[in-house]
Amino acid sequence: MAKNLVLEVKNLRKSFGPASAGFVAIDDISFDLEEGQILGFLGPNGAGKSTTIYCILGLIKPDSGKVHIFDKDVTKFRSEIMVNVNYASADFHLPWNLTVWENLLVYAKLYEVPDAKKRINELLQIFEMSNLRNKAIRDLSTGQRARASLCKALLNKPKLLLLDEPMASMDPDVVDKGIKLLKQIQKEEGMTVLYTSHNMWEIEEIADKVIFINHGKITASGTPLELTQQVLDIETGEANLRDVFIHLTRTK
Amino acid sequence: MTMNPNRVFAIILRHIFTTMHQLERFFDVIISPVLVLVLWGFLSKYVQNIQSSSLAAFLLGGMILWVVFEKVSTDIGVNFMYEIWDRNIINLLASPITFWEFLTGLLTISFIKIIIALTSMWLMAGIFYNFQITSLGFGLALLWINLFIFAVSFGIFNVSLILRYGHTIGPLTWILPFFVQPFAAVFYPISVLPPVLQKIAFVLPIAHVFEGMRYTLKSGQFDFNSFWLATLLNIAYMTGSVVFFTFIFKKVLKSGRLVKLI
Repeated sequence: MAKNLVLEVKNLRKSFGPASAGFVAIDDISFDLEEGQILGFLGPNGAGKSTTIYCILGLIKPDSGKVHIFDKDVTKFRSEIMVNVNYASADFHLPWNLTVWENLLVYAKLYEVPDAKKRINELLQIFEMSNLRNKAIRDLSTGQRARASLCKALLNKPKLLLLDEPMASMDPDVVDKGIKLLKQIQKEEGMTVLYTSHNMWEIEEIADKVIFINHGKITASGTPLELTQQVLDIETGEANLRDVFIHLTRTK
Repeated sequence: MTMNPNRVFAIILRHIFTTMHQLERFFDVIISPVLVLVLWGFLSKYVQNIQSSSLAAFLLGGMILWVVFEKVSTDIGVNFMYEIWDRNIINLLASPITFWEFLTGLLTISFIKIIIALTSMWLMAGIFYNFQITSLGFGLALLWINLFIFAVSFGIFNVSLILRYGHTIGPLTWILPFFVQPFAAVFYPISVLPPVLQKIAFVLPIAHVFEGMRYTLKSGQFDFNSFWLATLLNIAYMTGSVVFFTFIFKKVLKSGRLVKLI
């Protein structure tokens, strides 16, 4: 039985700068995400991953193409759609002067979370942050800040979660714990996830399917194992996305 | 302790380079002092020729109402920049909030802050200087509303500039209200200004608010002419700032600048 499509990106194109000498960040890409799927979105720096995510969030207007979430056009129904979507990136913080609890309460209001206090307590417990609830974000370690951001990203039990390198600059132990927690919550709550990272191990651990993007174009897609076998042309039972990444990035 | 002049020079050089990249910093260095001089020059000229018992009331009333404009107009832009400085702006904009909801939130918080500021100034002016701003009666509320609306238009204009040019434009947000001050006839009547500047003052709603305030303090009657002039001008400014903001917002969505604010 065909599953529901949560995200549908079709012929998306975005360029920056003047038409004649502009930089094409996304060049006619199409992909979709089924309910409950975790998509690893890979590519070198400047490949167009973040631009794609911003188009999905409705924060950049594409030149052409469409982004449909829950079968609705994101450019027309943005607010309605975003109640069931969430986003986290290591590039962005929660306000530093506010405590973890205050931050989560503000975002719970923004995402119209019913019974916000219960949900916040639940997440703080899952991410082992209950004892840090009254600490200001500036007083947390990098790993704790990332966990607070993940709490924010999961507040509204999003049906679609966009994670743009959420665990960048974290030590392997924290990443391992974070990935396991995310997988557990994803299974329990049936979320669909789009996940970008430069850490191939993270993607191998979490993704059902991988899309590789370079110079704004999708150059390969499949499960981590399929990609390893296809791109590296080897018979193997283990995914090796690191070598896939290097091969695809260096191949024009 | 010895000082290494090269290292000191390195710091100076760093700021020269920054100033070259951010021309708005010149406003801080050159234009701001000039505006202060112009303001106090006209005030001195006005005070020299006046023998009015209402002078203290004019000055205090002017100052209290000016604070409304200055605080509200800068507060909206500054609170917006806090989200950029906190690197929180993308988290916020990625949420279901619309930009107009965000602006309305900023505006409401400015409104609450200015009510608190006005109350404390009203109490202090009454206790220490025996000046009752409430002597302006019901007209005070009308003056205040016009000031607030113009400050909001100004705030929306500031946010549009930040959206377009990024947070480096920040210092301008603080200074812009002071560009208006000499022409706003805060402490002296429009008639004190040279004819060219009078024309500028005439198209500023707040100049009519302050004219109205002085008239009411002097005669005890509300100046409807000034009130309606200020209201009409405010409608034009508010429409202009909303149109400008909408234009800029569409532009930054297209250019990708919205996600590059930090």
